[in-house]
Amino acid sequence: MLFSLTRAWQGFWRNAVMSLAATATMVLMLLLLSGFWIIQTGLLAALQFTEQKVEVVAFLQPNATDNQVSELQTRLKAMPQVASVVYVSRDEALARFRASMAAQGREDLTRFLSTNPLYASLEVKLVDPSQVPVVSDALRNDPSIRNIINIEDLAARVLTVTNLLRTAGTVVLVIVGVIALFIIINTIRLAVLARAEEIEVMRLVGASDAFIRWPFVFEGAFVGFLGSILTLAILLAVADPLSAFMADFFRVLPLQFGSLTRDLVALVMGAGVGLGILGSWLSVRTYLIR
Amino acid sequence: MTAAPAPRPARSFRRALGWTHDQAKPGRPVLVLHDVTKQYPNGKLALRDVDLVVPEGDFVFLVGPSGAGKSTLIKLLIRDEVSTRGEVVLDGQDVARLGRRQVPKMRRKIGIIFQDFKLLPSKTVFENVAFALEVTGTPRRKIRPAVDRVIALVGLSAQSRQTPNQLSGGEQQRTAIARALVHDPRLIIADEPTGNLDPLISWEILQLLLRINELGVTVMMATHNAEVVTALRKRVVALEEGRIIRDEVGGAYHRED
Repeated sequence: MLFSLTRAWQGFWRNAVMSLAATATMVLMLLLLSGFWIIQTGLLAALQFTEQKVEVVAFLQPNATDNQVSELQTRLKAMPQVASVVYVSRDEALARFRASMAAQGREDLTRFLSTNPLYASLEVKLVDPSQVPVVSDALRNDPSIRNIINIEDLAARVLTVTNLLRTAGTVVLVIVGVIALFIIINTIRLAVLARAEEIEVMRLVGASDAFIRWPFVFEGAFVGFLGSILTLAILLAVADPLSAFMADFFRVLPLQFGSLTRDLVALVMGAGVGLGILGSWLSVRTYLIR
Repeated sequence: MTAAPAPRPARSFRRALGWTHDQAKPGRPVLVLHDVTKQYPNGKLALRDVDLVVPEGDFVFLVGPSGAGKSTLIKLLIRDEVSTRGEVVLDGQDVARLGRRQVPKMRRKIGIIFQDFKLLPSKTVFENVAFALEVTGTPRRKIRPAVDRVIALVGLSAQSRQTPNQLSGGEQQRTAIARALVHDPRLIIADEPTGNLDPLISWEILQLLLRINELGVTVMMATHNAEVVTALRKRVVALEEGRIIRDEVGGAYHRED
């Protein structure tokens, strides 16, 4: 065991060019893979955020009593499809309207009105945007509801787009993953191929399969480990400026980067070391099975 | 089919080399081929009904034109290939019946020498020879004296720290012989060992192989070198189109009628 490790170490440095080329390829592939992983995570977060924007807005009859409204709110909150219910009073609605007009730089025409023309409303956020029809139906026949903004169409369209993007993102990630897998395995294969002569001599002098295999497997694991460390170092170096930029860019999105880091370390390490071992195992196997 | 009377093994020399296995017993077969036929997957019949017995201590030349089956025969002995039919028995073991794990152990009973030496260019002479012991898990303290002794036997003590590309062809081949010899094999197989060497160096290599044979090691040498075969008058096994067409003791390279 110790002997195999020593020989793996020697093997790595005796074929330094080949080993370093394999490591470099590994680093590039892992960077590519983790780059796509980060994009995918960002995309998923953005999609989730978009979906959270889907809400059912129900305008209340002006004559609805406070009792009726609070009863309705309680009923809505009890529904499993509902995430939250916010009551927007008529005054609030007017304030919001004025704010949005001001934000768009338009003249505020409401100041010419003597009374507030807006209705109070309930803004219902959903756990899952596909549940819009259920919640709308539950509200539609309530006597205190004046009307419901029909967003079923919009919700359906948002869902189509987000689901499409989700699938596309996953497909791209899988394709990139498979490409990285093949390139890494092939590079390690080349490194082993360069030492076909050594393997042949080992077989001729009566080395057991295990004796031949383990140094190569350890070497592959070492290449993978080194590649992962380098990749993570590079990612760490660019993480700060990049996330500052991202935070700036996606100011509105409450992205969670905490778990991303952990997942990324696991992904890069797992892929690097795993592929290193798998690649050398498969490559040596072609020489051993005869 | 009788073997030449084996020369008496130099007992003290064997002991000096640290060889421990039973003293060679002349006459006991080291290698038996019975009805061996080898057909490759592409349909080519490389060997047909080959019968051959090689007693311990024998020195056998394997001759024949290219494609006659010499290389196939050697591949069967080291179990690089398995015979289609018939038995290959090495040191009492049927080679075809060995499991995957036993093949390496069987190979340790054979020392093999090639035309292209097959030395590892990154290792020194000493390391190349020691490699054959390292793979068998021999303890390090036993490796050094054993390797030093065989390197002395082939006359390369002065070059033991050099790498193969610093050596002449003859010296490289002597390194390969030392490697084939160091793990105390029952049989040395030499596949065209002089193919890449000039005539003078070829004779040196031959003399080394003869000396090793005198130590009691069975030697089987495939060669095209007619001059050497005819001059030495050892046992000659001639192959042609996969058959043994001649097997005579004290023979020449070509048939003499």
